[in-house]
Amino acid sequence: MKNCIQELRAARKWSQADLAEQLDVSRQTVNALERGRYDPSLPLAFRIARLFGVAIEDVFQP
Amino acid sequence: MNKRTASLTLRRAIPCFVAFAAYVIVLVVSLRLLAHGVEGRAAELAVSLSPVIPVIALCFCIVRLIRGMDEMHRAIQLEALSMSVAATALATFSYGFLENVGFPKVSLFVVLPLMCGFWAAGTVLAQWRYR
Repeated sequence: MKNCIQELRAARKWSQADLAEQLDVSRQTVNALERGRYDPSLPLAFRIARLFGVAIEDVFQP
Repeated sequence: MNKRTASLTLRRAIPCFVAFAAYVIVLVVSLRLLAHGVEGRAAELAVSLSPVIPVIALCFCIVRLIRGMDEMHRAIQLEALSMSVAATALATFSYGFLENVGFPKVSLFVVLPLMCGFWAAGTVLAQWRYR
């Protein structure tokens, strides 16, 4: 699954560690998400979308 | 891992180290007592099985540690444990057949360290997949 987490994060000038802290996950998890190596669960995907203030389908594309 | 989750993981890992240290201490004491001889069959059994108590505590600590991880790290641990179980089953099963053709008998005590070794290797492999 493709996503634009890195772009959304960069637009807010957050580091991976900042994003990880806000999502309550590890920095490695954020890195894996951004690289598309790990597909998040639905609850985590919703948390990501809510944090960036966008719809879930605007963050993740199949 | 950010500072907060890293310190949380470390704090959750401390009871595991304490339980393992307790296991080593109880094991040494138990072996020494058994070497000197314990009176009565029931006492002998109790002393012999006493190292299992800190191991039970260690199991609870490991479960707590894994529950405290985020979802990706739990997925990594699931993969690592699956690999570990499969590898241990293959290794012990294969060696069991080799014992039929004259290979020396090996104690069951070998199984747990073997599984832990495969678990560690499995964790490295599974983490590598998500990098």
